[in-house]
Amino acid sequence: MHSNNYTLGFVFIVTIILGTMLSFTKDSVKVLQDQNLKADVQKTILKSLDFDESLLLTNESIEQTFKNFIVDKCVDIDGNDAPCETSEVDIEKNVETLPIYFKVNNKEDYKVEGIAIPIAGKGLWSTIFGYIALNPDTDSILGIQFYKHGETPGLGGEVEKEWFTRNFTNHPIKDSNGKIIKDENGKIDGIPKKIRNNNGDIIGIDVLKGAVQYSSASKQVDFLDTNPLAIHQVDGISGATVTAKGVDSFLKEDLKKYEAYLNKVRDSGTI
Amino acid sequence: MELFNSESKKIINDPINVNNPISLQVLGICSALAVTIRLDQAIIMTLAVIFVLCSSNVILSLIRDYIPARVRIVIMLSVIASLVSVVDELLKAYLYDMSKQLSVFVGLIITNCIIMGRAEAFALKNGPSKAFLDGLGNGLGYGMIIIIVSFFRELFGAGTITLPDGGAGYVLWRIPEAWYAAGYENIGLLVLSPGAFFILGLVIWGQREWFGLEEDV
Repeated sequence: MHSNNYTLGFVFIVTIILGTMLSFTKDSVKVLQDQNLKADVQKTILKSLDFDESLLLTNESIEQTFKNFIVDKCVDIDGNDAPCETSEVDIEKNVETLPIYFKVNNKEDYKVEGIAIPIAGKGLWSTIFGYIALNPDTDSILGIQFYKHGETPGLGGEVEKEWFTRNFTNHPIKDSNGKIIKDENGKIDGIPKKIRNNNGDIIGIDVLKGAVQYSSASKQVDFLDTNPLAIHQVDGISGATVTAKGVDSFLKEDLKKYEAYLNKVRDSGTI
Repeated sequence: MELFNSESKKIINDPINVNNPISLQVLGICSALAVTIRLDQAIIMTLAVIFVLCSSNVILSLIRDYIPARVRIVIMLSVIASLVSVVDELLKAYLYDMSKQLSVFVGLIITNCIIMGRAEAFALKNGPSKAFLDGLGNGLGYGMIIIIVSFFRELFGAGTITLPDGGAGYVLWRIPEAWYAAGYENIGLLVLSPGAFFILGLVIWGQREWFGLEEDV
């Protein structure tokens, strides 16, 4: 049996050695990790704005695409421009300066093709970070992407999966024969969901518990007539009600913050 | 000690064949079920586990005579946790996409019973070179099973074979569109966790048949 002093000394030395090893590792890869994180945020913005995946394969190509097609600035809650460095804004806490990103066709005539705004809020275990992109009409959704969260893989973690994010841009519609239009993989190929109600107020998107009911009476899909709310609703995630509720509420909150500015864009047609 | 005498061969081969940590001892199956959706994930996970297992075995074996018995579990855990954190940081720096896909499961290598098990059962009782071989053998045994399971899960579940390439994965082969047109369908169940159980069950059955193992009743 070793003495108490020996045991304490041994534990102390082991801790020092392991601690040094860890901090040395972290220190030597910090720069690379930060680059990856920055590229990941840019990738999320670009993906929400519906850029082709082939442009987003490496950190370099992501940075290049971002430089060529993205204009960014900050606005305040009243819809006026506010000076800031968009990448340094703390999205979760910030209320004064709101970063906003525009997809433009090129950097000469600045024709806007999409508007991305950051969203963040509490899920079940963690803060979920992402971007939602709107079409220039500031009503229909161009895309939504999440990039950082600590939700349970397979349950709340599903928010970042394609089947969930696809919900927001695929409200089913029917062709002339009354059949739902699907793409070659058998997935619904419809119109985007909308964040504004008929009065033009931003109401966000309801993330339901369960699936969207497109038809109230029968299983015959006749949704456009029977459930006018469906255009503002997406399917929830089974086993992740709290996460879905979180997404539902911070989406509404964050979109509301931008309402004044988005109204301005809608009315004037310029950014 | 000669590196490849019959004893060291046995130390490596045993956990791969008969005394496999997953299929016979049924240890570490939490991660085995979670990271076997795609082949590339399984391969990277295998490398991570082999690295942690070999290094922790060697380090603990080197200091085995000095570790006070009262705090040996704490020391083992600190060594293992530090190594896992190093792997996690390296993945985030060099294989960012992969580290996102593996998410918490890299960190959970800390609680993988195989690693604690080998440290306690082998590394603290044997010299560093034997401990290294034991780590390698058990890591390969773990890897072999999860690679087999992920191969079948990805092939029949998603219709692809993906190898790691530093990015989002290189698709080596995918089931041609013509097959789908002819009525072939992916088995969705295999992508879900129960699918891993079924495949793992079949692997265990196969192993027991092959080696003629029987339960002691």
